[in-house]
Amino acid sequence: MRTGTQARKYRLQGAGLDLALPYLMLAPGLTIVLGILVYPLWDGLRASTRAYRYGSPVADVGLQNYLHLWSDAQFLNALWVTVKFVALSVSFEAVLGFALALFCLHEFRGIRLLRTVLIIPMVITPVVVAIVFRLIYASDAGMLTALCKAMGGGGVQILGNPLNAFIGLVALDVWEWTPLMFLILLAGLQSLPHEPFEAARVDGAGAWRVFADLTFPMMRPVLAVAIVLRTIDAFGTFDQVFVLTRGGPGEATRLISIYGYDTAFKFQQTGYAAALFVTIGLVVLALAFSAIRLLRRIDAS
Amino acid sequence: MMHSSRLTRRSVIKGGLGLALATTALTTLGLPMPAKAAGKKVIIGAFADGGLTPFKEKIIPLAKEQGFDIQFLEDEYGVTLEKWFADAQSGAGQYDLYLLDDPWVPQFGAANVLEDLGAGGIDGSDKDWISPMIDMGYWPPQQGPRVKGFENAKPTLICVPFVGDLQTLTYRNDVFTGGAPKTWDEVIAKGKEGVAAGKIKYPVVFRGVSGNPIVTSWYPIFLSFGGSFFDDKWNPIFNSTQGKASADFFVGTMKQNAPSGVVEFDSDQEGAAILGGEAGAIIQYSGNALKADDPAQTKVAGKLDFGVVPKQEKAIAQMGIFIAGVPKSAPNKANSIAFLKWYVSAETQAKLSEAGSIPVKRSAFGIAKPGNRLIPVALQQLDAGALPRPRTPDWAKVEELLGIELNKALQAGSGGGAALDTAAKQVKDYLTTAGYY
Repeated sequence: MRTGTQARKYRLQGAGLDLALPYLMLAPGLTIVLGILVYPLWDGLRASTRAYRYGSPVADVGLQNYLHLWSDAQFLNALWVTVKFVALSVSFEAVLGFALALFCLHEFRGIRLLRTVLIIPMVITPVVVAIVFRLIYASDAGMLTALCKAMGGGGVQILGNPLNAFIGLVALDVWEWTPLMFLILLAGLQSLPHEPFEAARVDGAGAWRVFADLTFPMMRPVLAVAIVLRTIDAFGTFDQVFVLTRGGPGEATRLISIYGYDTAFKFQQTGYAAALFVTIGLVVLALAFSAIRLLRRIDAS
Repeated sequence: MMHSSRLTRRSVIKGGLGLALATTALTTLGLPMPAKAAGKKVIIGAFADGGLTPFKEKIIPLAKEQGFDIQFLEDEYGVTLEKWFADAQSGAGQYDLYLLDDPWVPQFGAANVLEDLGAGGIDGSDKDWISPMIDMGYWPPQQGPRVKGFENAKPTLICVPFVGDLQTLTYRNDVFTGGAPKTWDEVIAKGKEGVAAGKIKYPVVFRGVSGNPIVTSWYPIFLSFGGSFFDDKWNPIFNSTQGKASADFFVGTMKQNAPSGVVEFDSDQEGAAILGGEAGAIIQYSGNALKADDPAQTKVAGKLDFGVVPKQEKAIAQMGIFIAGVPKSAPNKANSIAFLKWYVSAETQAKLSEAGSIPVKRSAFGIAKPGNRLIPVALQQLDAGALPRPRTPDWAKVEELLGIELNKALQAGSGGGAALDTAAKQVKDYLTTAGYY
């Protein structure tokens, strides 16, 4: 015999609660996604087709903002600086991260402590990292200058020299983000099956042969994912440059994020800045898709 | 056997509701509520600068005695323009009063986001104002060229001068023993003698960082060489013969006689160089100059004197006043205007002068005991010549373009004139796109 509660439950089920429930449960999340992701994206796209004066839209200009980007020497310079920065930083981080992960794969006394210490830079706030590096690089009272003077040398010019400032920025990024690469690759290495390596050892393969024929090929998918993630992230680097160099000297370290920020908020060219960021978003998406296709091709081979 | 803690639909719904309620409660309790009118509360936004120290230390307590509840929010200079402009334009209402850098007034004026202070009862025609300072509070400007769209608009008082800051010369009196050097050649020649005598390490120091810092350092030299920035039609003419000579002097002679890392110097480093006893002379605003007599802040207390900026053709300085505007979205608008009326009164301005800050009313320069030796020198400089930067809403972009080129030339140590040519072309292109012509 059905109790009253059961009867009510079945009535509700009959009224379609079972059908509606998944949508009801999705609704809060969906509303948030629409509100904080889809609407701003739509608004940004709309802004990118408008001309702004004094912070307000004054005319619809279609794709003119997008076309103007490619004749804007400052944008092209910022894009080139960003591409160089991303390529150099991510390459160094991948190589160093891989090397560290291989080293930390071995079990020895103190390895747990070493692994913990190695990931510390990654958990420090980027602004703090930039301030610390500024104190290291400063030509008047920086740590490097003090060190050089103590050894009988002169002052070190890092932030005042375009090439040195760029290298200094790359060094900062490598210091901060190699641990992320290390962490992903270490997890990848630890998940590799043991059997092929044991077989290789039995066959008398040396360390290099094992790395070249087994470890690296097996790690390629993980490495590709780590590189794609870091590349996307590095394209958006902002805090460190903002604090360390603000894009200078000249335009030597002016990444696209800094140029976009200045264009949008300092110079109030909202529409143009929106077009800039949409373009960069598309470039990064294209890179990510290319990397994924490459990954699939590697898997297939 | 069924597990006792099995996830059921009912438990998920209950948990979800509980989480939603808890989040709502935490958000409501944890987030700062928008400021509401309460008594005579005034929320002031300012950028961190030593020029405001006397105001913070001496005038805010006086304001409290008058019943004003001052909340003073400071930010780093580099982020305030964008932060406040976004606040004003979005109507967020986080501030009652912005202490702007004067070149920002046109941008806020053109966007029509500041209150009409004249309508609020502040008299812009009071003869006691330092006239070039009160002129900067009007949009569109009462004199000089106007940007398109504002040619026929009636000038409105949207800001009032707050601290009358302007550039003056600070120099070492043991190096320049005959008083303030009159010309740039004298600055360099006597500075070199000071270096040879071991009294200082560098004849001069300045800011070389790209953008606002380097332009601020170069501008008084440009003015002293007789340069003009724009003509009456907004055509850039800063790459004139005088302009190029000033830029070559700046990136060449000045750099050779400054610390080697000057390309990366901002106000902190130049302040350290002059207050630390390394540099012989500097053109600066009041922020670091006010520290010149405080042994806790300088190694050369008693050895720093002030003077009018050196001249090549003219001894003209750049004005860079703090200027106050009330956003239309201010939550305590009436309080802010009442505060400003009290603040710009002759009595309070006299107190400001006593506190050591450069006032904005002429009468306050004449008090018996100004709180700082810099104040009478500032008046001398005003009378000798002091000019604001061009009154355009696009100054930030113009300064950026020019600053990058000057900074590149400074790195090279030559090519100042060529840098101005490049910058003039870029500025012209930009202003053309922006519809100036």
